[in-house]
Amino acid sequence: MKALKIARQSLHAVFSSKARSFLTILGIVIGIGAVIALMALGNGAKKDLTGKISILGTSNITVVPGADVKEGPGAMHAGPGQRLAGNRGASTLTQSDLESLMEKVGSSQIKGVSGNIAGTSIFTTTDGEQRFQVTGTSDDYSEIMNLGVAEGGWYTQQEVSNGAKVLVLGHDLAQDIFGEANPIGQKLAVEGADYSVIGVLDTMDENGVTNPNTGGFIPYTAARETFQTDNFTSIVVQVQDDAGVEGAKEEVTAVLLANHGAQNVDLADFTVRSSQDLLATISSITDIMTAFLAGIAAISLLVGGIGIMNIMLVSVTERTREIGLRKAVGAKTSDVLAQFLIEALLLTFTGAIIGILFGRLLSLGAGHMLGFSTIVTGGSILLAVCVAAFIGIVFGIYPAAKAARLDPIEALRYE
Amino acid sequence: MKINSKGVAPGNGNVIELKDIHKIYKMGGEDVHALRGVSLEIKRGEFVAIMGPSGSGKTTLMNIIGLLDKPSSGDYRLDGENVNRIGKSGQAQIRNRRIGFVFQAFNLLPRTTVLDNVLLPTIYGESGDGRGRAQGLIEKLGLGDVAHHRSNQLSGGQVQRVAIARALIMEPSIIIADEPTGNLDSVTAAEIMGVFRKINTDGATLVLITHEQELAAWAGRTVRLLDGRIIGTEGAGS
Repeated sequence: MKALKIARQSLHAVFSSKARSFLTILGIVIGIGAVIALMALGNGAKKDLTGKISILGTSNITVVPGADVKEGPGAMHAGPGQRLAGNRGASTLTQSDLESLMEKVGSSQIKGVSGNIAGTSIFTTTDGEQRFQVTGTSDDYSEIMNLGVAEGGWYTQQEVSNGAKVLVLGHDLAQDIFGEANPIGQKLAVEGADYSVIGVLDTMDENGVTNPNTGGFIPYTAARETFQTDNFTSIVVQVQDDAGVEGAKEEVTAVLLANHGAQNVDLADFTVRSSQDLLATISSITDIMTAFLAGIAAISLLVGGIGIMNIMLVSVTERTREIGLRKAVGAKTSDVLAQFLIEALLLTFTGAIIGILFGRLLSLGAGHMLGFSTIVTGGSILLAVCVAAFIGIVFGIYPAAKAARLDPIEALRYE
Repeated sequence: MKINSKGVAPGNGNVIELKDIHKIYKMGGEDVHALRGVSLEIKRGEFVAIMGPSGSGKTTLMNIIGLLDKPSSGDYRLDGENVNRIGKSGQAQIRNRRIGFVFQAFNLLPRTTVLDNVLLPTIYGESGDGRGRAQGLIEKLGLGDVAHHRSNQLSGGQVQRVAIARALIMEPSIIIADEPTGNLDSVTAAEIMGVFRKINTDGATLVLITHEQELAAWAGRTVRLLDGRIIGTEGAGS
């Protein structure tokens, strides 16, 4: 009852000088707004990125040559790092590795396998000559990567075995080269070798790692000859379901270790990685970015808190006689402390609520301009409210204590 | 001593009993002897003026009677209860329930209605919200028309009547008025003194601190202070 009455006094003080209260909380509004907006953008960017990775299929495993040095997304088969880098040399993933893994198909978690050879070729488009990515793959590749064929067809197991010089074009690449004409059956030179176009893909979603729309696909056996390389740039393994990924990773590792005569994973000359690993890496990067940005925004909250302390101190001085009067009519030290602390908390909470709304608007605006998704999570709102409470107490306690300590005789005499 | 529910000791009718009160301040390293052995009794229902020039110690005496300050030595009984050894929060509680203050500078809360100003002491008490009692006092003091006006919209006389209502709201044992007409013109001052006389007639015990002989004349008894000592008492009970 008494606490409620005291809280009402605080409320009255805050709302009887609205302009000053608003200016006091402006720092908190901007600080909380910035934290909310940046976290919303960070979370949105994370969702966009992981969403793109998920298109790859979260149940795929990629084997790349070389020990496990952190190569990032470029280590994925035919990743952006290799797009224009020409043919990869000195790979240790051999035909026998591919065959060993293909023997496991059906009898284990492994559902499909594709050996890939990344390369590039110059094509003449309507805009002139340009270099594009051409990937040699197994026949399973279209199924593993969920590639849909719009016209013609994908190459068969037979064509892969025979090293047939056939080419499937990404949707955009086909249009760049042939325009409105039907590409099926046309001849196209890949690094000087003649290929015939047998299929054009549907427009596919970009997946954040590769863009199948602007690439071409040929049987790996043909790629071997055309790109003059023996071994695979990567081997992609499709797993039955997400839950089997870890088990399949172990199985793939065991098969390849045996093939390569290595005793354990530390001696392996290859790296087995799942899409989930990549997701985890990207998530951790975006999380760090989000935390970093929010941390910078939090500095403005500190400044806002100091602003509140400043105004509260001025207010305590101005209201010295009021404090003296309250004490004379029976307010205890703790009553005065409570009144001014509640005032500080009211200010910071009001600032936090306006700041959350402001941050939401800011993130919507920024997201719209940058083409990002924005997500305001319950967690970021909770964080904002906790930070506001913390600031209210930390920066409110000193002015409140100063008010509470005033001697009533001195305070009543104050001019 | 046994104290009844209203905090009033049975037996003798003294609200205030001061015995040999001394007050020594330290000021700039020097001792200032503000009160040098003051003994004073104030009966329930009395209207006492404490008179003296500035520096006589009347403000110090008021602070001690009002439990805003403690004597350096001596004995103070309020409603028969020894209040010498009470701590700060205990003093605050007694001020809230048993003492009403009226100040020269009025000290109303700014931007606050008459009603809320009158209700101020009830915030710090344990009783209910006192709204009905406040309305009654506001009517009684002729403030009914302005009950919901803000304190800065009132005349000087109205402001001081609000302060008197605020002093009465907790039904205190004693009301201490410190130069209550010091900031008012003579007509308004007389009006306010009339209010004091009326509430005294209605049963309130009053202590008026003043340096003006004319105001002291309104009281039933005048106690004269000089250099920290009582030098004379006039009127009833002297």
